[in-house]
Amino acid sequence: MTEIQSSAGVPVITAPPQEPHLPPKEWLKKNLFSNVGNTFITIVTSVVILSLANGLLGFAFGSERQWNAVAVNSRLYMSFAYPEAQYNRIWFSFATLLVLAGLSMAIWRGGTRVPFARLAKSSFSFGVGLAIMVLLAPLSTSGTIKWGIAAGVLLLAGFIFKRSANENEDEGDGRSLSSLTLLVGTFASIISTLWFIPYGRHSFVGDRTPQVMSEPGTVAFSTQLPWTIMLFVLVGAYYLGVVLRDRLPERRTRGVLMGLWLLSPFFLIYLVLRDPSFTMNHVLYTDIPLVLGFLVVGGLLLYALTKPSLGEIGRIAAVLILLVGFGSFLTPMRMIVRIFLIALGFFSLAAPTFSGDKSTRRRYSSIWSGFIIIAGWLITAVNTPSTVEVPGDLFFGGATLTLIVAFFTVVLSYPLGVLLALARTSNMPIFRLLATTFIEFIRGVPLITILIFFSVMLPLFLPEGMHLPEITSVTIGYALFSAAYVAENIRGGLQSVTRGQHEAAEAVGMSTSQKTVFIILPQALRMSIPPMVGHTIGTFKETSLLYIIGLFDLLYVGRSVIPNQTAFIGSTRENLLFVSVLYWVISYSMSKASQRIEKRVGLGER
Amino acid sequence: MNETDNTITTTRSGRDLSDAPDMIVCKGVSKWYGDFQALEKVSATIKEREVVVVLGPSGSGKSTWIRCINRLEHHQEGDIIVDGVELTNDMRNIEKIRSEVGMVFQQFNLFPHLSVRDNVTLAPIWVRKKPKAEAIEQANELLELVGIPEQADKFPGQLSGGQQQRVAIARALAMEPRIMLFDEPTSALDPEMIKEVLDVMKDLARSGMTMMVVTHEMGFAKEVADRIIFMEEGQIVEVGTPEHFFTNPTEDRTKLFLSQIL
Repeated sequence: MTEIQSSAGVPVITAPPQEPHLPPKEWLKKNLFSNVGNTFITIVTSVVILSLANGLLGFAFGSERQWNAVAVNSRLYMSFAYPEAQYNRIWFSFATLLVLAGLSMAIWRGGTRVPFARLAKSSFSFGVGLAIMVLLAPLSTSGTIKWGIAAGVLLLAGFIFKRSANENEDEGDGRSLSSLTLLVGTFASIISTLWFIPYGRHSFVGDRTPQVMSEPGTVAFSTQLPWTIMLFVLVGAYYLGVVLRDRLPERRTRGVLMGLWLLSPFFLIYLVLRDPSFTMNHVLYTDIPLVLGFLVVGGLLLYALTKPSLGEIGRIAAVLILLVGFGSFLTPMRMIVRIFLIALGFFSLAAPTFSGDKSTRRRYSSIWSGFIIIAGWLITAVNTPSTVEVPGDLFFGGATLTLIVAFFTVVLSYPLGVLLALARTSNMPIFRLLATTFIEFIRGVPLITILIFFSVMLPLFLPEGMHLPEITSVTIGYALFSAAYVAENIRGGLQSVTRGQHEAAEAVGMSTSQKTVFIILPQALRMSIPPMVGHTIGTFKETSLLYIIGLFDLLYVGRSVIPNQTAFIGSTRENLLFVSVLYWVISYSMSKASQRIEKRVGLGER
Repeated sequence: MNETDNTITTTRSGRDLSDAPDMIVCKGVSKWYGDFQALEKVSATIKEREVVVVLGPSGSGKSTWIRCINRLEHHQEGDIIVDGVELTNDMRNIEKIRSEVGMVFQQFNLFPHLSVRDNVTLAPIWVRKKPKAEAIEQANELLELVGIPEQADKFPGQLSGGQQQRVAIARALAMEPRIMLFDEPTSALDPEMIKEVLDVMKDLARSGMTMMVVTHEMGFAKEVADRIIFMEEGQIVEVGTPEHFFTNPTEDRTKLFLSQIL
C-alpha cells in the first residue's frame, strides 16, 4: 500500500519518488568507474579477489584433495560412535525436532514473502558466481560439464523468475513466494536428487582391518528413505499446525510449544537415545509413589500457602521446609527427596508473591505438579543405566555433542544469569557481594582453565561414590562461565529500566518481588535480547574448546580423529574446511533467526 | 496542633470539613539531600475529602514533600501519619500506606510492556488479590470514567500523552485509594491535552476524593482547591483558601510569586 486515499479533506500521502533504476552498464559506470581513482581501485580489488578465489578453488578442487574423507566419515561427524543398529533412535529424535519445528512455523506464522524480483537477483548472482568458479577452478572435463549445468540451471531460474515478476509489475507489488515454500522446495529438490544423482556410496567398515568402501551409484537406501520421510514429517507437521492454530487458544498453545522445545532434548537424550533400562519394581514401588506423594502433599500445601490472608505463617512455614530440605543432606536419604524438599521450600517462599483468588491458587499448585512430574521423571531417567553400548564409553560426539553442550549451557546459564544479575543489583549487601565476586572471578579466568578444571579437578571434589560423566561436569563449568556473562548482559537491561518504573510499581503497593517479576524483569529481558543473541552464538562456537580437553566434539573429529585414519592420513585441511563451513552455516542461521525474533518482540516499540 | 499547622474549617465549596477525620498529618518533616535541605519542618494536616493544591517555584520542595507521603523519598526528621498509620521503615506499614494512596506522576510511568487493561488490573489482582474477572470489570469501568474505554487493548506507546496520563489515573484509582497524590500531572503534556486530564481530576475532586496536587495550573487551583499551600525553599510560606491566596496574600514572597506567574 503506497497511498492513503481520503475523502474527508485530509491530505493524500503519496509514496516518496523511487530511485531511478539504472541499467547495468550505467550502474557500473556510476558506482565502480566514476573517475580515474575509482577505476584503479576497482581493477586492483578485482584482481586481488579473483586471485584469492583462484587459490581457494584450486585448493578445494585440486586432484590431490581427499574429500572422500568427509564423505566416508559423515556418520562420525554427525553422531560419532552411536551404534548403527540403533540408528532408528536418531531418526526418531530428528523427526521429533522437525515436528516441533513444523508446528512452531505454523503457530508463530513464520515465513515472509519473498518477491520474485529478489529471487531472480539472487539466482542470477549465484549463477554468475558458479560460472566464474567453473572458469577458475581446475576441474576435469566431466566436472566442468556438471558444474556448468548447475550454473546454467541457476541462471535459467533467475531468468524465469524475472520474467514472471515483470508480468505483474504494474500492480505495485509483483508476485512473491513464501519463504517457507522456498525452504521446503529447496530441501525437497536436494532430497529428491538423492534418488537419482550418483553421489557415490561411501561407508567405513571398521572391523579388524578398517576399510573404506566407495562405490559409484546413488547413496545408500538407508540414507534416501529416512531423509524423504523427514521431509514429509516436516511438511505434515506444518499443516497440522495450520489446522491447530485456529482451533486452539493462541497464547496457551505457544506456551505449551515453548515448553516442549525446552523439554525435548531431555526427553530425546534420556529416553530415546540412551534407551534406559528401567527396573519396573523400583519405578512402581519407589519413584511413582514418591512423586505422587510430593505432588499431592506439596500441591495442597502450596494451595494453602497462597491464601492471601495467611500473613507471616506462610513465610515461617517456607523457611522451615527449606531448613528441613538443606538439613536432609546431613542424614542418609535419597537425593530425589532432598531435591524435592528444597524445591518445595522455594515454591512456598515465592507463594505470597503469587497469592490470589482460587483460580490463581489452583494454577500455582498445578505449576508445582507439573514441575514435580517432569523433575521426578528426569531424575529417574538420568539415574537409570543406558542399554546402548558404545565403544570407549563416549555416548555422543561430533555435531551432536557440540549442539548438546551448547543447548544445555544456554538453558542452564540463562536462569542462573538472571538470578546473578538480580543479586548483583539487589539491596542486600550479602547477595551483592557474592554475585559480584562470582562474576568478577569467572570473568577473570579463561574459559579453557574452567573447562580443564571441571573435567579434571571436579571429580576429585565430588563426594565418594558420586560419579559425573565428563560431558556433564564440563557442561556445568561452561554454564557457570556463560552465566557470568549472561548476568552482565541482563544487568545492562535492568539498569535501562527507568527509575519511574520502579516508583510506579512501588506506588501501587507492589512488593519488591512482585515489582521484579511483573515490571522490571520483562522489560530488562527484552532490552537484553540483542547482546544475548550474540552471546548465544558465541557459546555455540566456543564449544570447539572442548577439543582441548579431549572430548570428541565436531572440531576434534575433524582435526584429530579422521586425519589419523589409515585411509585418510593427512586429510586435516579438507576436514577443517568442512568443519568451519558447518560451524558457519549453523551460526549464520542462528543469527538470521534471531534477527527475526528481534523484529517480532518489537524492540523499540516502547 | 502547633502554630504552623494551618487547618481551616470552611472551604471554598462551602463544605464544612472541621469534623472530618485527618487523612494526612505531617509534623515537622525535614529532609536533606547531602548538605542541601529540601524540606524544613513542614507541618500540615489534610482532612478527608479535602483538595489541597501545593504551589511554589521549582525547587521549592513540593514534589519532594508529596513523594515523602508514600515513601518514594525518606524523610529524616518529623512524623508523617497517613490514615492513622505512621510511616516508618517497617515495610508492612509502607506497603499498607501505598495501597491506600494513589499516585500520578509527571512522566505517567505506565508499564510499557503491558496493555492498558493490564496496566490497570495488575496491582488489583496481585496486591489487592482481587479475582481476575472482577478486576477486569473494574478496569473497564475506570477507563470509562476517564473517557478512554476504547483504548483498553492498546499499549501505552500507542497513546497520546493526555490519554496516557488518564490511564495512569485509572491505574491509581483501581487500587481504590483513599488519597490521591498528583505530582505535576500536566507538566509533560501538550497544551491541548492538559484540559482532558484536568477535567478528569475535577470530576474526581467533586466525587469527594482526598487529593493533594502539585501543579502550576492556576485555573485548576482557583476552581477546585479547598486550600492552597504555598512553598518556597523547603518551607510552607502561606496557607489559605483560593480567594485569600489569589486576592490578598499576606506574605511578600507569595506576592512576588503571584506577580511572576499571573
